Amino acid sequence: MLTAGRLLAAVPGQCHQLIGHRNGCGFPAPSTDDFDYANKNLFSLHLGSIDFQFNKPVLLELIGVALVMALFLAAFSRPRLVPARGPRLQNIMESVYDFVGLGIARDVIGKEGQKFVPYLVTLFSFVLVVNVFEIIPVAQFPASSRIAIPIYLALISFLIFNYVGIRRKGLIAYFREIVLPPNVPWPLYIILSPIEFFSTIVVRPFTLAVRLFANMFAGHLLLLTFTVATTYLLQPNIQALFGGISFLLTIVLIGFELLVDVLQAYIFTILTAVYISGALAEEH
Amino acid sequence: MNNADANAAWSIVGLLISGLVVWGGVGALLTHLTGLRFFLPVGILLGVVASLYLVVARYGRA
Repeated sequence: MLTAGRLLAAVPGQCHQLIGHRNGCGFPAPSTDDFDYANKNLFSLHLGSIDFQFNKPVLLELIGVALVMALFLAAFSRPRLVPARGPRLQNIMESVYDFVGLGIARDVIGKEGQKFVPYLVTLFSFVLVVNVFEIIPVAQFPASSRIAIPIYLALISFLIFNYVGIRRKGLIAYFREIVLPPNVPWPLYIILSPIEFFSTIVVRPFTLAVRLFANMFAGHLLLLTFTVATTYLLQPNIQALFGGISFLLTIVLIGFELLVDVLQAYIFTILTAVYISGALAEEH
Repeated sequence: MNNADANAAWSIVGLLISGLVVWGGVGALLTHLTGLRFFLPVGILLGVVASLYLVVARYGRA
């Protein structure tokens, strides 16, 4: 792992965020560079033309996968029918399962939703964990702020809702239902069909991915701005007052970001359920 | 608000964006190709009106 000390040693005399103000660099504003781990590999491997780079976002993603697996396996490997009182792991994980299984799958999709509960619970748990890495000390980076992760998750959701729709109604009937809205005189299809097609095939996966990415990206920038401002302003003069305020705001914003993390995981999951529900619904 | 309404609300946002992008995009393309500037605003207006009409047709009479 890159430690803060090695990071500082790696850029002697440059305008680094933590030491920039000592070199007369001015306020080192956070930027997209803080999301760029291209030259900060934990290790890299070159197999012919394949460039394999292993960096912090990848590590966090793998830890997220392992953590979700471990928590659910530990909670349900020896399940008790009548759980013990108090906050046991099984009770906690059951509440996550119920939250998604009842609150999202059953309420949005209906009784057919049971089939999709495994995917939706996995999706919710994984997105939640990689989001919350944003405010976990040492990790301090939301892996979902690298757009590759939201894109892949959105792609999986996109393939699932189209697959269940095509399987339920057949390829032609499914797309006819998408591009030919009811209660419309036929000449208007020339104008309306492209909108419907674009909305379902392009806008849905795109907004799904970008919504998660942009929220986590903005959240990380927000926290960076105030943490960097705190270290920048904490000097033995009147600036320290503003540094203190910045520090307090950082704590408030960490709470706010926890809310955003949970909310974005919830929205990603409920939208996937809404799209599946729409693909399964019979047109009237 | 029942679930059908909630589902519709999520889809409506996507439709409104789509109308703007698709026909606004066609307008922008025609403006780019022909150099006639009125294509872009006409395309955007057409897209917004069409997507609003689509929302009413699909969800307004349920």
